[in-house]
Amino acid sequence: MPSASSISVLVVDDQLTMRALVRNGLQQIGFRDTREAADGEEALKLVVAKPVNLIISDFNMPKMDGLALLRAVRAHPPISKTAFIMLTGRADRELVQRAVQFGVNNYLVKPFTVQVLREKIEQVFGQLT
Amino acid sequence: MIPGRPEPTTPEYTRKVHVTQGEQHVTDDPGVVMTTVLGSCIAACIRDPQAGIGGMNHFLLPDDGGGRGGDSVRFGAYAMELLINDLLKQGARRDRLEAKIFGGGKLFDGLSDVGASNAEFAERFLRDEGIPIVSSSTGGPSARRVEFWPVSGRVRQRLVAVEQAPQEVRRPATPPPASSSGELELF
Repeated sequence: MPSASSISVLVVDDQLTMRALVRNGLQQIGFRDTREAADGEEALKLVVAKPVNLIISDFNMPKMDGLALLRAVRAHPPISKTAFIMLTGRADRELVQRAVQFGVNNYLVKPFTVQVLREKIEQVFGQLT
Repeated sequence: MIPGRPEPTTPEYTRKVHVTQGEQHVTDDPGVVMTTVLGSCIAACIRDPQAGIGGMNHFLLPDDGGGRGGDSVRFGAYAMELLINDLLKQGARRDRLEAKIFGGGKLFDGLSDVGASNAEFAERFLRDEGIPIVSSSTGGPSARRVEFWPVSGRVRQRLVAVEQAPQEVRRPATPPPASSSGELELF
């Protein structure tokens, strides 16, 4: 069973409030190494410079959206295996299907609880300690 | 002028769009006026003055003390995100957005002031996101009828006595609990 504190996470969202909410939830679950980026471009630069174990990314963002970030990560060998969870709204079924085609590991529908956030991460990494 | 659409300056050209709780609407049509009636709910009217695009939402958050990770922040952030994303999709730019907020009244005496915590959330959210609040009218014992012309940014507000406010304003529906409903079974 992996320990949450051993998994590094990059949270990507153009809204500061949403980044704070997700990071707050991650800290409640036990994650210690959490970072953030405001769009896909910034996120890609960060993960290339210092890889993380998990990216949790919004879809709608300026410059580079979540789907473009997912594709860029999957196309870049040193980081292509990074676990990726997409944040979506309720009406984004088509987006989820496209994200699956591009190799997303899971997705999270907003607004979500900390418990659902934990369940989604555990579906990717296994039960967390 | 858009073909097939009457000239916006003609008196007969005003299309009303009523925004009810849980909804948001965005347009670049200068002939549209958005209307809503608010009790303790909040309506945020956000626009990009340069692009001539604006929109309104209408939400009520549960009263949970307003903590950073509480239900109110999760629901509120989502409601605001839906409106902002719709604005950006239609061509607005985030760094040009400005907001007007209305509502958050305390229509009945009681221990909790959910309207105040709703207004506080909206102000904090907009401040955190760097979206200036150019005007606001929140709190107080009356309901509000708000009309918003999203392209010009003009707003007209009328205070309405509680007993004359519509039933849904006096007893607004509380939002459903956050859940994973509406998901696809893919994983």
